[in-house]
Amino acid sequence: MPVKNRFAELHDDITAWRRDLHEHPEILFETHRTSATVAEKLRAFGCDEVVTGIGRTGVVGVIKGNTTKSGKVIGLRADMDALPIHEQTGVEYASKTPNAMHACGHDGHTAMLLGAAQYLAETRNFDGTAVVIFQPAEEGGGGGHEMCKDGMMDRWGIQEVYGMHNWPGMPTGSFGIRTGPFFAATDLLEIEVEGLGGHAAKPQETIDTTVVASHIVTALQTIVSRNADPIGNIVVSITSFETSSKAFNVIPQRVTMLGTVRTLSNELRDLAEHRVVKICEGIADSFGAKATVKYTRNYPVMVNHDAQTEFAADVARSVSGDCVEAPLVMGGEDFAFMLEERPGAYILMGNGDGAAVHHPMYNFNDEAIPVGCSWWAGIVEQRMPAA
Amino acid sequence: MPIKNRFAEMHVEITGWRRHLHQYPELQFDVHETAKFVEDRLRDFGITDITTGIGRTGVVAVIEGKTNTTGRTIGLRADMDALPIHEATGLDYASKTPGKMHACGHDGHTAMLLGAAQYLAETRNFDGRCVLIFQPAEEGGGGGNEMVKDGMMDRWQIQEVYGMHNMPDYPVGEFAIRPGALLAATDQFDIVIEGQGGHAAAPHEAIDTNLAAAHVLVALQSIASRNVDPIKQVVVSVCTLRSDTDSHNVLPQKVTLRGTVRTLAEDVRDLAEDRLRALVTHTAAAYQCTADIDYERGYPVTVNHDEHTVYAADAAEKVTPGVWRDTPPIMAGEDFSYMLNERPGAYMMIGNGDGPTVHHPMYDFNDDAIPAGCSWFAEMVETRLPAA
Repeated sequence: MPVKNRFAELHDDITAWRRDLHEHPEILFETHRTSATVAEKLRAFGCDEVVTGIGRTGVVGVIKGNTTKSGKVIGLRADMDALPIHEQTGVEYASKTPNAMHACGHDGHTAMLLGAAQYLAETRNFDGTAVVIFQPAEEGGGGGHEMCKDGMMDRWGIQEVYGMHNWPGMPTGSFGIRTGPFFAATDLLEIEVEGLGGHAAKPQETIDTTVVASHIVTALQTIVSRNADPIGNIVVSITSFETSSKAFNVIPQRVTMLGTVRTLSNELRDLAEHRVVKICEGIADSFGAKATVKYTRNYPVMVNHDAQTEFAADVARSVSGDCVEAPLVMGGEDFAFMLEERPGAYILMGNGDGAAVHHPMYNFNDEAIPVGCSWWAGIVEQRMPAA
Repeated sequence: MPIKNRFAEMHVEITGWRRHLHQYPELQFDVHETAKFVEDRLRDFGITDITTGIGRTGVVAVIEGKTNTTGRTIGLRADMDALPIHEATGLDYASKTPGKMHACGHDGHTAMLLGAAQYLAETRNFDGRCVLIFQPAEEGGGGGNEMVKDGMMDRWQIQEVYGMHNMPDYPVGEFAIRPGALLAATDQFDIVIEGQGGHAAAPHEAIDTNLAAAHVLVALQSIASRNVDPIKQVVVSVCTLRSDTDSHNVLPQKVTLRGTVRTLAEDVRDLAEDRLRALVTHTAAAYQCTADIDYERGYPVTVNHDEHTVYAADAAEKVTPGVWRDTPPIMAGEDFSYMLNERPGAYMMIGNGDGPTVHHPMYDFNDDAIPAGCSWFAEMVETRLPAA
């Protein structure tokens, strides 16, 4: 089964939806127009049930097969939110909103899942129930987590869940996947170092927080270089360093640092948190300063399940002829929360050459639409074959 | 087919060889008695084509199959050398030489390959030629490289080569392997930082070499934490830091740092060396010191060939269902890497059960693994060179 003919017919429609979403990007949970558009289309397709306001602005649609004797329920998930980036593509359907842009292709993800929903609602050539999930706030708000916390999995009896992301640098419409840990846990660091500010000419009367914080930055390097198993994968980055004063002649009372910890296993994640706190507090103590660490566990490691990964790869091969083993990704993905609730798999689909995601020149590649839609439809039709 | 019956019969005898070797450990290239023991056993088995002195003290022997219609030749390799460790096992067959010990199980490797050689010489149930390779100086001397440099691969027309190492904390007699990089490249560095020695009470008149060295050591952490792709692997360890004084009141003129760099890919290996050189040179310069860097590339990455890894795992599966085909890579080094750079092949790990890790004074090779290890060597020959 290559690309389904119906998606070749629908290609222009779906492309138009995608470009409309692209022109009207919305950030985090503020996906009101996008959610309304999605809900309106799902109703127009004749979905059996359309519910808005799940996970604040998420949308859930239900499409029953011609039969539901199997009792199977499969969730298909797309993300709807954009990024606070000022678009520079110059395309005619570029963002109409300054500093908001679909720079991660969620416009494409949403449009493809809508296309698949239209086809599935038209044909219903499967035995079971497809639940289409449109989530807000993938880019940092944990919208997927919010939908789970609203009881989505139990409310619709979802048994397995699948997701897809476009991937620049992979040939357009090709697929890649891996089983087990796939995307990193993305934890957030806020470190506040409190010393004793004073005159820059009298350092002996101060506890210089810039020196203490610099020692902390340096010491944090040892989590990767000395503490973590070198076979494991971990990043500790300090991304922001800010003194409480901006003068030339004042030793600051306080330094605030921000950063991120990326890990691909819970063992490393626990180790990193433990070591970050110990290092910050210990070094600050050694200088007579005080460090306060706020370590926030954000998205967990996204772990693909073995059986569902194999199945997702089989469907990808049936659409595109091949599915390669994807490399590990140190980026995060809040589909991880859904995969913690239910078995499932996340797949990458090539976006071709061009700018990387989160770049102001990035654009989703509309050529990939029929392939992506066909994969969604294949997941439903092959996992819940018509009776 | 599980363990070959013949190895169950020979188990006591092979264990006896292993324990004999364990009592008489020899270091590096000085494995004269071990090589002689190997040669004597091979002659006992009726093997006549034996060459000593390859790679200084290595032994190469040939067993011809019943037929040789294919002209194919497979090499099986074991290592013979021990370590400069004082044994603390208290076993009745413990090392008789103070400060020397078979703490890495090479006694077991050699004994298992001898066992396989006896069986193969008795049965010759294969079509082609098997070349047995017993190498010296795996632990740091590059004995495998010396054998390769002596032209071993061409001289005996070896087409594929296989080796095996025991693995503590893995079930006895089960196997583990992975395609691609299995063991690390092991490079080493000696850095001499020179400043201006002086009185500890007058640091302003000196250039404190200790401080520069401490900053160098900290800066080297950034290779792993900042420079290398977190999906890839690197270890940079400074293991020795020594100032040229041991006083309480003298700032040293020179400080020596010594350490190792471990990598699993050549591009990471190059990056690590480049960064180390730049960090050391410029950090030292920032503290008004000079740095002299002696960076020596040691064993290359041990890279199992994809196809031959499958052959090796399939042969192991004939011995036991306990075959892990995707064991994680290990940051230790192995000079079988030189042989794998010359010829396709694979390196297999065999479980040594619970107990101390290799290079520990309480370590001991587990004799219970012998029949499985011998069977794997024999299966490699019989499956890659099936009888005509």
